[in-house]
Amino acid sequence: MELFSEIYNCYYQVLRHLLCTQTALTKQQIADQICGEGFEESLLSIIPKLENGSWNLFHQDGDLFFSKLTSSFITPISDLQKSYLKALLTDPRMQLFLSQEQLENLQQMLSSVTPLWTQEQFYYYDRFIDGDPYENENYRRNFRTLLTAQKNHQYVDIDYNSPNGNRVHHHYVPARLEYSVKNDKFRVLALKNARDHNMKLEILNISRMQNVSLIEKTLSFEVDFNALIQNSYYREPLKLHIINKRNALERAMLHFANYEKNTTKIDENTYECLIYYNQIMETELLIEVMSFGPMLTVIGNDKFLKSLKARLQRQKKLITNNH
Amino acid sequence: MSDFHELIKSFPKTREYVRDFFVYGFKTRTEFKHKSPRTYDNERRRLESWLNPFVHKDHLSNGANISLAIDSNLLDTNPLFRVWKTKSFTDNDIVLHFFILDLLQDGDKMTAEEITDDLLTEYEAFFDIQTVRRKCNAYQKEGLLQKQRKGKTVVYSLDTSLAQWLKSNETILDALAFFQLAGSLGMIGNQLTDQLDYQNQTFRVKHSFFVHTLEDEILLDLLNIIHQQKSAALEIKSSKKGVINTTYCVPLQIFISTRSGRRFLCAYIDRSKRFTCFRLDTIKSVTSLEKTEAYEELQTKLNRNRRQLWGVSFQGRERHHLDKLTMTIQVFEPKESYIVDRLRREGRGGTVTKTAPNIYQYEIEVFDCNEMLPWIRTFIGRILSLECSAKSVERRFYEDLQTMYQTYQIEE
Repeated sequence: MELFSEIYNCYYQVLRHLLCTQTALTKQQIADQICGEGFEESLLSIIPKLENGSWNLFHQDGDLFFSKLTSSFITPISDLQKSYLKALLTDPRMQLFLSQEQLENLQQMLSSVTPLWTQEQFYYYDRFIDGDPYENENYRRNFRTLLTAQKNHQYVDIDYNSPNGNRVHHHYVPARLEYSVKNDKFRVLALKNARDHNMKLEILNISRMQNVSLIEKTLSFEVDFNALIQNSYYREPLKLHIINKRNALERAMLHFANYEKNTTKIDENTYECLIYYNQIMETELLIEVMSFGPMLTVIGNDKFLKSLKARLQRQKKLITNNH
Repeated sequence: MSDFHELIKSFPKTREYVRDFFVYGFKTRTEFKHKSPRTYDNERRRLESWLNPFVHKDHLSNGANISLAIDSNLLDTNPLFRVWKTKSFTDNDIVLHFFILDLLQDGDKMTAEEITDDLLTEYEAFFDIQTVRRKCNAYQKEGLLQKQRKGKTVVYSLDTSLAQWLKSNETILDALAFFQLAGSLGMIGNQLTDQLDYQNQTFRVKHSFFVHTLEDEILLDLLNIIHQQKSAALEIKSSKKGVINTTYCVPLQIFISTRSGRRFLCAYIDRSKRFTCFRLDTIKSVTSLEKTEAYEELQTKLNRNRRQLWGVSFQGRERHHLDKLTMTIQVFEPKESYIVDRLRREGRGGTVTKTAPNIYQYEIEVFDCNEMLPWIRTFIGRILSLECSAKSVERRFYEDLQTMYQTYQIEE
């Protein structure tokens, strides 16, 4: 059971799509498919192989290519993939997606398969302990309703307990369901109609939802969700200087790997890192930066620097007074 | 660069390059001193080919600086999965792949001889019988084909029922779309969604650390060894000196940090009679050895020890068995009661006690309090006092604070 195997190669995937096209293909159509699905230079490798017959997978008639495959081709599931599926069956989050009947069917189909891992083989030592209640029937129902709405661009009515204890009721379109590994929680990145006919983005914890119901109304226009997130980033990124002591550079690079960032070396032992973030991420990023102590130096932006200094100021006062 | 190939034979060498570009993302050609310029150029070209459009180029005075600009908040999948889809193959491999699987789609059982004949008549593809048999046996090992012996005859067949069931159940496709991004060995989930022509357009993962997929081959070997309760020989490259050493151990569990995505193998070293954690990205190869008789006993012992483990270190610098840390913080309730929630939620079993109005005390005993410092520092601005039986930890906390006051010119 090899993970790095040619059967999972990107070229095989591109070729499968081309070969399952039962109509004749022009060279341009083949090239377009390769450019869309393959790597940047795949075109240079694949086209000559098809043209010179080394990959004798098509009949050629003039400029047209006809697939030699005779049926609607399905690649079977490999042992590695079966073992992976079997391992997923033991994950409590699987119940959010599959009905009891589906779980049993899959269990039966994989009865002779050894799972790739068991839950107890992994230990998340710094995960927060108040993860979402995946066993809770109301939670599961809300999750599934949100999933349906997200896929259909449909509005939902969400009855929500806000963090400050207020119960709120609003209409949203779920844009994405976001999972936090650290918190073991799902949140909904939801779009809400703003006053100026725009959509604004809000983040809601699924576990705080009392009830979610579908509304017979769909979003009538496309929203560029990534643009919405990117536009929310502050114009001035966080600028850090990292002194490469106590392995701080590697730790920082890994720690901030989930942010869009740009790092350059500015002298023998110092690196400058720009991190792009928005208001929602601000407190968490501040806490993460503080956790590195003096190994990181915040150079800007002014807002971030001010927040950090305020915390240090308060800290200094507390210790001075306490002693 | 006439011998440039986009696909590669073996993964380990490339793993190092991708990691360097991804993690550091600022090394120029001249900084890759341990490799020839030509190797650097070829690796860089491959990386640019595989991972375009995530490659970001800056032109500096000492050469072009390439890095991977990946913002996990904006992505539906891990772009580094593409690196796993680059295994090279021969012309015969790809032709046989499609023709043999196509020939067997209707569930017929065929011998290697019959397959060889049909390849010629149905597809005008001439192969010798040995080549066909070898491919069929290889695919049987991968689980793509079934092999049955009928008397002296060996027949091969194909079962697509599971693939069809998966393809027709949108809920399982949704589950795969989620787990490829959020779960262990997500690369396999991603292969499945590719194969079933389904794309994730629903899920995002916060705190997703894409680079760690590069260690998945090592992880797979380790999980297999743990499952078989065997001992192992690990080739480990020191992250500081770069020296490779072999360690003999009993692999017991994979420890994962949700804050950095780092993964560790927790293993028992018989020679030192100790538990130790090894970062997966420092493990270069894994060799399975004999079955361990005392495996259950070691697991039980590890479970017991884990209660006193903050992170991955089983002993502090001062070599005490256990160290006690007490942190007193100021919390203005009810406005800041989320801080008390944080202590309980993130405090890994430490006790939280209200000692006076707006004052809380957090207390814990662990093997290595030094590992706690990054978490302790997240409470800066609220800490009234910090005491630790490992005095070096206490000292370092206060010294670091002083350094920060100086750096940011914090006055009284």
